Amino acid sequence: MKHLPKHVRPRWRYLAVGIEAWPDAGIERSDFQRALWFAAGNLLGDPGSADAGVRVVAYSFRDGRGEALVRARRGTVSRARAAVACVSAVREHPVRVCVRGVSGTMRAARERYLDGLDTPERRSDVAFDGDARDGVCRGENVDVVAGDDGWVGARRRDCGTDGE
Amino acid sequence: MYEAVCAHPDGDSTVARLAATAASAGYDGIVVRNWGATSADPDAVGADTDADVVRGTTVSVTDRAGASERIRRRRENAVVVAARASSPSLNRFVAESERVDVLAAPMADGGDVNHVIVKAARTHGVRLEFDFAGVLRASGGDRVQALRGLRKLRELVEHYDAPFVVSGRPASHLHVRSPRELVAVGAEIGFTDAQVRAGLREWTHLAARNRRRLSAEFIAPGVKRGRYEEDP
Repeated sequence: MKHLPKHVRPRWRYLAVGIEAWPDAGIERSDFQRALWFAAGNLLGDPGSADAGVRVVAYSFRDGRGEALVRARRGTVSRARAAVACVSAVREHPVRVCVRGVSGTMRAARERYLDGLDTPERRSDVAFDGDARDGVCRGENVDVVAGDDGWVGARRRDCGTDGE
Repeated sequence: MYEAVCAHPDGDSTVARLAATAASAGYDGIVVRNWGATSADPDAVGADTDADVVRGTTVSVTDRAGASERIRRRRENAVVVAARASSPSLNRFVAESERVDVLAAPMADGGDVNHVIVKAARTHGVRLEFDFAGVLRASGGDRVQALRGLRKLRELVEHYDAPFVVSGRPASHLHVRSPRELVAVGAEIGFTDAQVRAGLREWTHLAARNRRRLSAEFIAPGVKRGRYEEDP
């Protein structure tokens, strides 16, 4: 189909979002998109969701951390922010999705707010609750395996002598 | 603005991790409102993470008999005391307890409020909590019930001008949502921006007021040490 003239094309805003989950979560782009659509549909209703038109236009996720660009129609950024805040789990993996910033172009959003994914350090000797456990360290943050209960989010100061 | 959190062992993240996440989300601090004690030292965690950590507690009120004594004992060790009741009549008991700062999640788990409870809360200075956890993390019928409860509570609080707090009640660092996101969610469910921000700031006021009252300089409400006349 022929492109619309520029003055009648929809105007978009791009929300740069950070995604955080436990290190064993595997979240594909399609899963995240589906969760976002569900969240928007449930919170804003069908008309509101269609108005906002949230869509994932860039996505990366590895080892429990991810980044994405979410497109929303200009004038609906606040509603899109609310929908993003209601994404609490993707395929039953709990997630935290936070809006880092909003830009008018994908390039600006990428340059200002997305800084790539780091590689975590996996350890098997994290001292937590008087026990040596498996853990995943990222800077000061440590995600510790807590038996059958899943994970515990901690800092190095919680893990004995700096996680050593 | 402060967020009221449940930390490990009640939740899935330690006080330090929650404080660091809250600070990065734009909060000035957190109120730790565990059911029991945490091993974390609030001052040390606060110094490490740029977030003020307030020692709080949540008392479960399941019967009137021992509740007052339990609240009094918890009050001695905590800066902020929240109480969670399991029925409308116990909600009223908590709303009439001046030792309690916050009536937590009054609409959850079969709880309910009416004009009597809201007026009692206003008279006794007990803050009613708008708990956004159901909106942020529940789905289906549970979420509809949570929304219905929030609407009823909001209408009563607005009508009687009762004090309130707002919280997303995070039990893990993955549950923490920034103030701006809570404001955006609040706007979708009928709250004004000012209401949500005021509710988040109320935790700050509570912590500051109670710390002042717990400090050694405090004598009684309205009484201050002044300058004495010098002998001629």
